[in-house]
Amino acid sequence: MRQTPADVGHRFDAAAVPLGPRTVLALAAASVAGLLAFGWPLIVSPGSELEHATDAPLVLAGVLVAVVAVVLVALGDGGMDVKAVAVLGLLSAVGSVLRPISAGTAGVELVFLVIVLGGRVLGPGFGFALGSTTIFASALLTGGVGPWMPFQMLAASWVGLGAGLLPRRVRGRPEIVLLAVYGALAAFGFGLVMNLSFWPFQLGTGTGLSFVAGDPVGANLRRFWLYSLGTSLGWDVGRAVTTAVGLAAIGRPALVALRRTSGRAAFGPAPRPIGGDSSVTLGHAEERDTPPA
Amino acid sequence: MHPLAWWAWALGLAVATTRTTNPVVVGLVLAAVVLVVVARREDVPWARAFRGYLVLGLWIVVLRVLFYVVVGIKTPGLVLIDVPRVSLPAWAVGVELLGPVTLTGLLTAVYGGLRLATLVVCFGAANALANPRRALRSLPASLHQLGTAVVIAVSVTPQLVASAGAVRRAQQLRGSEPRGLALLRRTAVPVLTDALDRSLALAASMDSRGYARALPGRSDRRVGALLLGSLLAAALGTYGLLDGTAPAWLGVPVLLVGLTAAAVGSTLAGRQVRRTRYRPDRWALKETVVAASGLATAAILVLVSVGDPSALGTGAVDAWPQVPPVALVCALVAAVPAVVGLQPLGRAAGSSA
Amino acid sequence: MIRFDRVSVTYAGDAVPALREATFHVPEGELCLVVGPTGSGKSTLLRAACGLVPHFSGGLLEGRVLVDGRDTRDHAPRDLADVVGVVVQDPATGFVTDTVEEELAYVMEQLGLSSAVMRKRVEEVMDLLGLAALRDRPLADLSGGEQQRVAIGSVLTSHPRVLVLDEPTSALDPSAAEDVLAALSRLVSDLGMTVLLAEHRLERVVQYADRVLLVGPDGTVVSGPPAQVLATSQVAPPIVELGRLAGWDPVALSVRDARRKVVPLRERLAEVAGRGAHGAVPAPTGSAPTAPHLAASGGTLLTARGLHVRYGRTRAVRGVDLDVRAGEVTAVMGRNGAGKSSLLWALQGSGPRTAGRVALPLADGADPAALRPSAVRRHVALVPQNPADLLYLESVAAECSAGDQQAGAAPGTTRGLLEGLTGDVAPAAHPRDLSEGQRLALVLAIQLAARPAVLVLDEPTRGLDYAAKAHLAHALRAHAAAGGAVLLSSHDVEFVAESASRVVVLAEGEVVADGTAAEILVASPTFAPQVAKILHPLEILTVAEVRAALTA
Repeated sequence: MRQTPADVGHRFDAAAVPLGPRTVLALAAASVAGLLAFGWPLIVSPGSELEHATDAPLVLAGVLVAVVAVVLVALGDGGMDVKAVAVLGLLSAVGSVLRPISAGTAGVELVFLVIVLGGRVLGPGFGFALGSTTIFASALLTGGVGPWMPFQMLAASWVGLGAGLLPRRVRGRPEIVLLAVYGALAAFGFGLVMNLSFWPFQLGTGTGLSFVAGDPVGANLRRFWLYSLGTSLGWDVGRAVTTAVGLAAIGRPALVALRRTSGRAAFGPAPRPIGGDSSVTLGHAEERDTPPA
Repeated sequence: MHPLAWWAWALGLAVATTRTTNPVVVGLVLAAVVLVVVARREDVPWARAFRGYLVLGLWIVVLRVLFYVVVGIKTPGLVLIDVPRVSLPAWAVGVELLGPVTLTGLLTAVYGGLRLATLVVCFGAANALANPRRALRSLPASLHQLGTAVVIAVSVTPQLVASAGAVRRAQQLRGSEPRGLALLRRTAVPVLTDALDRSLALAASMDSRGYARALPGRSDRRVGALLLGSLLAAALGTYGLLDGTAPAWLGVPVLLVGLTAAAVGSTLAGRQVRRTRYRPDRWALKETVVAASGLATAAILVLVSVGDPSALGTGAVDAWPQVPPVALVCALVAAVPAVVGLQPLGRAAGSSA
Repeated sequence: MIRFDRVSVTYAGDAVPALREATFHVPEGELCLVVGPTGSGKSTLLRAACGLVPHFSGGLLEGRVLVDGRDTRDHAPRDLADVVGVVVQDPATGFVTDTVEEELAYVMEQLGLSSAVMRKRVEEVMDLLGLAALRDRPLADLSGGEQQRVAIGSVLTSHPRVLVLDEPTSALDPSAAEDVLAALSRLVSDLGMTVLLAEHRLERVVQYADRVLLVGPDGTVVSGPPAQVLATSQVAPPIVELGRLAGWDPVALSVRDARRKVVPLRERLAEVAGRGAHGAVPAPTGSAPTAPHLAASGGTLLTARGLHVRYGRTRAVRGVDLDVRAGEVTAVMGRNGAGKSSLLWALQGSGPRTAGRVALPLADGADPAALRPSAVRRHVALVPQNPADLLYLESVAAECSAGDQQAGAAPGTTRGLLEGLTGDVAPAAHPRDLSEGQRLALVLAIQLAARPAVLVLDEPTRGLDYAAKAHLAHALRAHAAAGGAVLLSSHDVEFVAESASRVVVLAEGEVVADGTAAEILVASPTFAPQVAKILHPLEILTVAEVRAALTA
């Protein structure tokens, strides 16, 4: 019997990029480094090497480039299913198509649709990789490679990772609600942390809203809130709303399409057949002739 | 030209920009960057992004000035426009709005903005000059798999754009003219489904063409340990940079150790990938010259500013900024790529490949 | 070279095997043709021969497949890359890089060959397949035939001993298909390669085959010489059907052989025609319009005058005048890039039009481009080249009810039309999981639900087998007989011979010939169907006409 979409939906989604304990540790360490790089204006203390923010953007971007690259090497280490690589490439392409259509028009940002849905169906490891490859591919295509790119890559990867970690048992309408709420929060958070990373450079140190090294975190946070309020908050809210509405609109058919592919691809290492046995059973996929007309 | 040569040049100039607050030095670097881009860019899609970077740079300066006028801390000086002060309530951390706009404050904002803008334009130059597809070929072997995913994404995206157009036209044939969300749903879902079907066909094609044959299929313990160690070092080192009370060795030295671990781990991981390159991009003399021009500019300015922080002049606003001779030399060095490796006019067409 | 020993393949979740106890041997240096109806397991056989089944697809494989002595159980597809080259159905979906040269080198990079070897082999393959002029071209800009040759070249550079191809000519026009097939037969005869080839359009390839593997609907495989296997096969090209009708033993496989054997038959047919019984040949020419509402327009449903379409500097259509009349099935033929698609889209009204007038006499002479899409489709409906572009829902049932709603038709209309076109389709099936024929039928049903007078189809036969094409031809003729008109573009001369009453030939955007199907097809060297080539100079296009004439 051919599997109908509903059948596939009841199964648990497979992880296209398996996460071993070492990879989990690597992701955790990279996330800590990432949080420091994003949040440095809140925690920097007087007398530190980055206090005056002259070369901070380059230093931190350099650190993050290395961190993201190392995590991606760790994800791919030991071999990644060729199907996962191809799906990753095609989904990144879909994201790259959506990104320029939407960028800049009042916060409409559709790229998170792909990252959230991909992470949800294909697992946290895949979601993490998808966030990075999508941003990287679209930056290459639009000439947008700059010191902001590693920040965007890591933030988008977190979005995909989080989507993959959402409760797996939720299905049907609640699943769409869950994804929409998560998508809104994640998109809003993305805007906020990107703003946080750019805040010290845009303002310099000579305004009332600039960060003050060594001030209590609370005071710096309040300044940052005011800065956000005056700059990108409108965009961030718009981005959150479009992501939620978009997920509500295309979530169901897109999940069906992704699960159909994930079922057919049967990700995971193929067990080697044992010699002597005259039959080979592998996976559970269906890549086959179409049924007779 | 090898794309990495352009990136080395641009990164060198970006580092140089961060070493000084003297607007004249920054302006000279900016001029050199723009000159090189104008002289060397080709008529390719990615070169068109440069104009966008210039606009972005201008916007950065304007925004900086606006912020100075609205929320800037007004230092005393020659008052240009006297605007009354508005105090915000206490929850706003004592921020004051507006206030007298002084020449000093205004120039500080412009100079600061100019420096950030120049930094951004340096990256714009690299984006405009380096061929992104060829740059992808220079990714380290350890990133073989995710690099392949990005290569696929970059080559498939134009086809997906075309496919999205075909889907939109086809949907009209059904007699409805969807707008907004319905349009998104009707276009995005077929394009997504199409892309996913394609991905499995592509995977089959890649598999039967030997993809992943070059991969070991298992990981090397040393690689995992080195990568993990480098990530921990990155976290620690960043913390060391931020905390003024942390011992000095916790900052840059730890980061350097981490970087070395990452490089060794990546090399080891890459060594397991037995794959060769068809016609790899050559690194010839002209690439060395271009890269050296950027790196030399950075080195000169770093050395001069470390030796004597005031040697390059400052962004002081009470007098006209001076023009240190070393800055002129730097600008000339930075502009060298404008003429490196240019072929005689008749053969210029062949150099674009 | 390829040896199957009692091979059965069962996919997970399926009760019956897709391939059953297949045992055969393909010796080195043979071109082996795999034939069978859609869904019979042809693709499974091809994929089993290169290890994609079961390593890539999952499922259960019993028995043993040996390729050049390597057992596919112990060798994944990637481990066979230096022995077997695989070309997938749509070459564009298999490309990894974006220029011709890099694509040719890809497999060698994966195999880790040295730079010097790669350079040499890339040049050799370019010469072998005539690709040198395309060296730096982006793959996306190539024509279908060029892409197919690049796809073949991209597996040849690993110097495989076996080449496996799934429908390499299905999307190509006759001359591009000839190019590809000529290249393949050169590989077999000059380099001694073994080629395993699946193809629906047997008329194109059967003359090159040394062996035929016939895959039955139940998954069994019969192997043997082409003439012997095809003589009794359910799927057979027109030339074989003609041979069976005439009682030739063995049946002829090439036009040249057939023309030697056909003399007595031709004389009999000429005699029948000479008796003035020519009218007994049921040429599918349109009957006079019967519906009363057509009287006012003189039977014309769509007229175009001085139509021009231009994209930038390319002039796709130049000054075409065309009347589409009720009761006619009109086929627009011509090379790839001759302007066929542009013409159809411009006539339908949603494609670009630079100059000229299009009018619908039945809608008070309204211009379709000026009407809203929902109004146009009640008069002119178009089925695009890739019918799946029209579909966006997750199940056949959902598509059908959305179709009813959009067409303003009674619930169940689309579903009913679909059943009439293709029989039973599972309502819960995902439209993408349907066969090509079923998917086309679904889109056709959706478009017919609005009861358009003129039905326009752009390349409808891509990927259809003989049975599905016969169904489609029947449906199109029925639409015309009911007082509608059909306008289609096609490369498939056999399908055009079977379905069309009128043929319009386009070249460089201009109409170079316009007349009844018999007149145009018989006279053309490239567009003549096999039966017409064999029976030349008689104006007979299909086996069905021959049969009718003989029984008359």
